[in-house]
Amino acid sequence: MLRFILRRLLQMVPTVIAVSLLIFIIFSVVPGSIASSMIADGRGANDPELIERLNREFGLDRPVHVRFGDYIWNLAQFDLGTSFRTRQPVTELIGERIWPTLKLAIAAMCVAIAIGLPLGFFAAMRPGSLLDSITMVGAVSGLSVPQFWLGLLAMYLFALTLGWLPSFGYGEGGLRNLVLPALTLGVGPMALLARTTRAAVLEVMSTDFIRTARSKGMSSFRLVKWHVTRNALVLIITTLGLQFGSMMGQAVVVEKLFSWPGLGSLLIDSVGLRDIPVVQGSILVLVLCFLVINTVVDVLYAVIDPRISHG
Amino acid sequence: MAGRSAFALALAAFLLAAGASSARADEPRQGGTLNYVAPYGSSFSSLDIHASAQIQDAIWSKAIHKPLYDWDADANQPVLALATDVAASDDGLVYTYKLRQDVYFHNGKQMTADDIIWTYTRIMDPQKAYPSARFIRYIKGAAEYSEGKAEAISGLKKIDDFTLEITFTDPMDPAYLLMRNVTSIYPKDEGNSEEFLKHPIGVGPYKFAEYVPGSRLTVERWEKYFDSGKPYLDKVNIMIMGDASARDVAFRNKEIDVSVLGPAQYVAYKADPEMSKYILEVPEVFTRFVGFNLDYEPFKDKRVRQAINYAIDSDLIIKRLAKDKAYRATSWLPISSPAYDKDAKPYPYDPEKAKELLKEAGYAEGFEFELTATQNESWGLTIVEAIIPMLAKVGITVKAKPVESSVLSEVVPAGDFQAFMWSYTSGPDPLTALLNFHSETPQSSGNYEKFNNPDYDKLIDAAKQARNEDEKNELLRQANNLLQEEAPMWFFNYNKAVIAYQPWLHGAQPNSMEIALQSYEKIWFDESAPSR
Amino acid sequence: MGLRLNLVLGGTLCLIVIVAAVLAPWLTPLSPVMDADLMNAELPPSAEFWFGTDAQGRDVFTRILYGARVSLTVGIGSQLINTTIGLILGISAGYFGGWWDDLVNGLTNLMLSVPSLIFALAIMAVLGPGLSSLLIALGLTNWSWTCRIARSSTLSLKSQSYVQAAKTLGYSDFRIMLTQILPNIVGPVLVIATLGMGDAILAEAALSFLGLGIQPPQPSWGNMLTDARELIAIAPWVAIFPGLAIFMTVLGLNLFGDGLRDWLDPHMRTRPV
Repeated sequence: MLRFILRRLLQMVPTVIAVSLLIFIIFSVVPGSIASSMIADGRGANDPELIERLNREFGLDRPVHVRFGDYIWNLAQFDLGTSFRTRQPVTELIGERIWPTLKLAIAAMCVAIAIGLPLGFFAAMRPGSLLDSITMVGAVSGLSVPQFWLGLLAMYLFALTLGWLPSFGYGEGGLRNLVLPALTLGVGPMALLARTTRAAVLEVMSTDFIRTARSKGMSSFRLVKWHVTRNALVLIITTLGLQFGSMMGQAVVVEKLFSWPGLGSLLIDSVGLRDIPVVQGSILVLVLCFLVINTVVDVLYAVIDPRISHG
Repeated sequence: MAGRSAFALALAAFLLAAGASSARADEPRQGGTLNYVAPYGSSFSSLDIHASAQIQDAIWSKAIHKPLYDWDADANQPVLALATDVAASDDGLVYTYKLRQDVYFHNGKQMTADDIIWTYTRIMDPQKAYPSARFIRYIKGAAEYSEGKAEAISGLKKIDDFTLEITFTDPMDPAYLLMRNVTSIYPKDEGNSEEFLKHPIGVGPYKFAEYVPGSRLTVERWEKYFDSGKPYLDKVNIMIMGDASARDVAFRNKEIDVSVLGPAQYVAYKADPEMSKYILEVPEVFTRFVGFNLDYEPFKDKRVRQAINYAIDSDLIIKRLAKDKAYRATSWLPISSPAYDKDAKPYPYDPEKAKELLKEAGYAEGFEFELTATQNESWGLTIVEAIIPMLAKVGITVKAKPVESSVLSEVVPAGDFQAFMWSYTSGPDPLTALLNFHSETPQSSGNYEKFNNPDYDKLIDAAKQARNEDEKNELLRQANNLLQEEAPMWFFNYNKAVIAYQPWLHGAQPNSMEIALQSYEKIWFDESAPSR
Repeated sequence: MGLRLNLVLGGTLCLIVIVAAVLAPWLTPLSPVMDADLMNAELPPSAEFWFGTDAQGRDVFTRILYGARVSLTVGIGSQLINTTIGLILGISAGYFGGWWDDLVNGLTNLMLSVPSLIFALAIMAVLGPGLSSLLIALGLTNWSWTCRIARSSTLSLKSQSYVQAAKTLGYSDFRIMLTQILPNIVGPVLVIATLGMGDAILAEAALSFLGLGIQPPQPSWGNMLTDARELIAIAPWVAIFPGLAIFMTVLGLNLFGDGLRDWLDPHMRTRPV
């Protein structure tokens, strides 16, 4: 098992290098610069000398391949460079933001699991019932709705009109501020999970094994509890793992909407300010999160379903 | 217990109110916690103010730091802060400062001339590109130092611990340079430590207490602040709140004491009989405009440029889109400028006149131009969307070219546009503001329109040589009016900055430089303030 | 839900959007850009303005009709690019195998490991806001599933007897791929493209919200929502209707895609993510 995990981790290395190269190339041709963004709000005066000095300080006057060499060399030592804007190490800046993002993502996943899983499960218990229809309509709707729009409406209703919850921000990091963003971000995975769970449970229920057991008089609920769970879990975990990537993308939008101080808002702000080292670092960390989660999913998968070969 | 103390408080308040009712309204009171807002974005960019050109960072800097000069928002002019006296040489190049001897850093160390020299030298660090360097560069020898050609800045001379002599490259009033928050004084040597970047130390009224990234920065009263008796408040929480509607909710819930208003909130607060009493509005020194590239054929004709000014119903846009949170611009200089012409009239809305002018200029059939703009709601695409149909009525087709703001500030100085929309600082010093349109100012340094008018140049040159302020301002007034006549841009508006404050807050200042920048040491709470 | 119901309901919703987009100039007498009257700004829905007016005093209904054009262009255009890339890479990788297959596989994994919205965002930053940039950004970032399906189908088809027969008959590789393999994978690819169209429309809205999508004055459902956040307290209709339009369209595409898939292959139940 350990070898299996190690091998999966090693497989991440070329992907990480390729992603860094890709991001590096994209952001070396992007128009605008940190210097121009400093006067971008029209509140400072343009200063050609400052632009020159900044380029010199951050080594932007060197050729691209030299910069990329440096970048990879630093990356190998887990150094993501220095922010143009704050002159702090990028790792430090990301360190400040990663916890709010993880907190949001985990909360959203919890919402998805807490609601999506039982809905899909009970829908599959009674295929064709009213509950089943409502769940499936709800699920396809959840996949079709622009999440930030839903968040906006929730903000209007629960924060601005009813005043139950804060409309934005991190506050002191408490639960109240987390509710709306987590619900908003959780809608997509929730819908998908309900669908997947229903399909998985239906599939297992229709296998010969279950049908035999049922004919022997075991109650369907107990059956499901014992036999279906493990098999369905495999599919569900895979779904969640895969969903994590697109959730990281959606988190950017949700964080922006709720002014949530996570990695996503850091990324967006840094793109706007052309703080390239931070942009590269945030994307890389988001990708790493995704890769690690997928590795974890693979490992879980192997634990739950020992038939998967480890070789 | 809680009940009893509440009763005691109420009693105390009653006695105070009865006994000192006459003094209460204008006599500053000690104590209280101010919840302030940092409204420009979702974070602070740095705890090193020398490294940041963002207003957002100046908001915390105003609490912790002080520059040599201070901007007195009530008097609308710079004043000495860390010095008691200054004397200028006859040629206007050498300034000798008598420093205050009661200024202490938050670590207890006394501030001396060494700290100031060290600070200005740090800003010019040859290895770094601090945006603050543009204000220090006018000190003699600063440029040489930052290029690595000198060991020290030759224009900075310590006479004794509390006497400092600064030599400048040009005769000018250094107050406008050395009052900038980005030139705040740091403690010598310590200012470069790793620790300093996490725990800034200054000579300002409040000392750093805690920073929760993305959420708030808290400062506490500095007991040895040089202006005795100040600050009044014990503590200031600076909350990062980039979203106007969120600030609105927090302000109505009394969670924050001051809010910077967006247009929508401005309308609502103005309409509220209670809230409207506690609003402070000020014409800021920012002019919003559409600049024309005078190299583009149709814009070479003055009549075309004037026609555009006639064809746009600016007042309607200000009323409906800006929700009256702006002052109609007549020309470049804003209302608070000492050279502003109070008798000047803006271009009236007159589409017929516009058509006539276009016909005279040979554009009876109209023409097309591309307008580069960001998606800013006050000086970007939102406004462009409104002028497109207005200009279409006189035959001018506008093609909006949306760009990100960091791209706008790259293409405009490079001259890569036909027209652009921006908000640009137009004060507080009128000469600096109008110098932008002098033909000798390169396009990359502010003459984006490539305005070139010999009469205008003459007026500006004369103003530079003027013997006194009145004469200078009169010349600049004429130049400003000439600029309006020549219309190298569509003069849209001057920002009307508005803050709302809670009834218990006193001492808020109408800062025309930027209303979100308050001198916290002047703010105090009366008895009606909630205890936090 | 019945198989037919999915197709019928989804198809109807899609048809409504297509009709709105094509017939926009005949369905409304107003222009989405020029008919702005600041005196009529932020009016609630009424007989004259069915969906109310926005901050510029423009008819929201008119802008939604014209916005449908943009959304459809984005959906169809980006999926055309995605599908083409995915098919070319997938079929050729499966057919030729070897180093080319490894390369395509690596590329696919790479695309799958970067959240596509973030990838698109980076491309938009380089190209600047606008419709053509958006088509490129969304077209280049969502082809991995098509590629995977095309590759695995090709692998299994390659060993089929009729493909082998075509080979012995001396057909060129290109001809075999085009005539023997492609027609067999059109079904699943169509399903992915239909679902992908919905995702592209959602991505357009998200990118516009982040300030990197289609920019005014051209109306798109996404950029109509951008201002909505500021206006939501005073003019909620400005936020509600464009969001509903996106929702109904994407719902239509998803239902249609689901129905199509069930119709083509009743066993393939889970949706690629």
